Amino acid sequence: MNESVQYIYWIEHGVAMGYLIAWYLWLISLAEGTHIVAHLSWLYYRTEDYRPLEKVGTFQPFIILALVPLFLVADLAHPERFYTMFYHWHWTSPVAYGVYIITFCMISYAIHAYYLFRPELMHRARQEGPLQFVYRLVVFNHAESGGIREVRQRQERRERFWAGVSFFFSFMGLIYLGILLSSFKGRVVWHSSVMVFIFFSFGACSGSAFLILLTHLKNALAHTSPKALVEQRRYLAEFGILLKYSLVAQAAVFFIYFVLLQYTGIGGRLASKVFFGGPRAFQFWFFQVAIGLIVPFALVLFKSMRQNVIVSSIASIASMLGTLYGCMNIFIGGQLLPMTHFRWEHLESEPGRMAFGIIIMAVMFVFFLVTYKVLPYENIEA
Amino acid sequence: MEKTQKSLTRREFFLKFGAQVTGAGAGILLVQESIPALAAASPTKKYGMVIDTNRCIACHGCTIACTSENNVPDGHYRSWVKIMSKGKYPNVSSHFLPRLCNNCEDAPCLNLCPTGATYRTHEDGVVHVNREVCVGCRICVVACPYGSCFINPITNTADKCDFCYHRITKGLKPACVDACTGKARIFGDLNDPESEISHYIENRSTQRLRADLDTRPKVHYVNADENIMGPDYGKLLGRRS
Repeated sequence: MNESVQYIYWIEHGVAMGYLIAWYLWLISLAEGTHIVAHLSWLYYRTEDYRPLEKVGTFQPFIILALVPLFLVADLAHPERFYTMFYHWHWTSPVAYGVYIITFCMISYAIHAYYLFRPELMHRARQEGPLQFVYRLVVFNHAESGGIREVRQRQERRERFWAGVSFFFSFMGLIYLGILLSSFKGRVVWHSSVMVFIFFSFGACSGSAFLILLTHLKNALAHTSPKALVEQRRYLAEFGILLKYSLVAQAAVFFIYFVLLQYTGIGGRLASKVFFGGPRAFQFWFFQVAIGLIVPFALVLFKSMRQNVIVSSIASIASMLGTLYGCMNIFIGGQLLPMTHFRWEHLESEPGRMAFGIIIMAVMFVFFLVTYKVLPYENIEA
Repeated sequence: MEKTQKSLTRREFFLKFGAQVTGAGAGILLVQESIPALAAASPTKKYGMVIDTNRCIACHGCTIACTSENNVPDGHYRSWVKIMSKGKYPNVSSHFLPRLCNNCEDAPCLNLCPTGATYRTHEDGVVHVNREVCVGCRICVVACPYGSCFINPITNTADKCDFCYHRITKGLKPACVDACTGKARIFGDLNDPESEISHYIENRSTQRLRADLDTRPKVHYVNADENIMGPDYGKLLGRRS
């Protein structure tokens, strides 16, 4: 009888991997979701007006992926050995593949973004100006003849090839995140194939939200012609529809996940309790459901609201916050179930690591702002 | 449609297809037949432990011996004893469960280690951590369903019980086995049918922790109470069973 059981001596194990890794998972899903949304939309629209948004959806995720390994490195007990993960390769570990997937993803984003910007960079490299040497440097001082359109036509096959490669690695990255967590068979919260779909839904939500937010930010900071502005706002309003359905998909995936947990025995029911009434309940109901699902859904429900810059920006921030808390709830919540005893595992606060994460996020933001001023995101009229 | 010289008739197709399937099937059968024979001929050892909970008196001698032998830092344990009491006065019973790394045959910590720092010595099946290679990512700590791995704050690498490998390779017993007051721990080669551990397992009903996970632990328990074997999820769910 459980009521008459008393524990006299036991060992507590604690939460081994904290917020920094949850943050890392969220940033990867955000970067890859943004690229997938941007590229799928390119395949749908295929117009020159859309190209500035594709640039945003390719280059900004590259900045994130270039800096996000710092989160992982900072969390290692031996950070100076990080590079050994590239050659001490263990074939049964998802992380061993993930290191390469994320690296190839970052490289493919960089090359794809290079080809997207290259015609405008060629044009700028020919023009006198304070940053001419920078533009010459990035096109390797190789000025091609012809206008922007001709340059773009000549490189179209290479550009589309790298778009395909980066698109493939983006999907691989999201699949990797799902498989990474589901491979822990001792962790009831994670050990489910639904994890892959949870990260797909996080990618779709945060990706479309991030693209809306970044493009609004770009339009506020960089000069955009009134005609292009109108076109881009039309696209962003349509991304609002995508965000709306992504939120519905995320809610549906979580519903399926919780139903499956109910059929996973007592461990599954306890895993549900972590979210519904346990130690992550407030973060789940307030941040993930109310702020992250209901508020953005209500804000992008109607066309007039999707077209409003401020409303769609608030919806985007709320949706991104929701997915961030979603990642944290799953990642931290998965480690709160006891290993050998009868209490929730203890999560120690990590002020140093959190401060490090905030600094890296600030650096990312500064990079975004600098690139808006330096790189030619907008189409240059002939 | 006009047939070419190279085309097969239906009869020829089925004859060739049937021959290939039969050949492949026969090959698979031969390989399957030879695997147990190969395994039986294998000279490898499989070190394991049996803990007879009837004999354990929860003196924590194993914990102290392990800490001393392996320089385990304060607040961390390679071996410990979980203690529980059950029932209501005057019908109360005490239950003890000595714990250590199970050196599983399908070890999650080993499978998920990204650098291969956690590895198995094939000649005896013991799972080790290579401190020169470990990056301290904590994946093994999270992956182990038994809570047996931890990050050693001195070496900043993963750490766990390896059956006192430095002792057993010299023919000694692990420190916890030597220190056990009640002789509750029996260590030996599970592949050797004449070993004490094999006889002990053969003559008694044994249990293993979290058998549902199919990690195939090599630490067996005799007469352990079911309530002490795993985490008590029922208590957290507020359920009476």
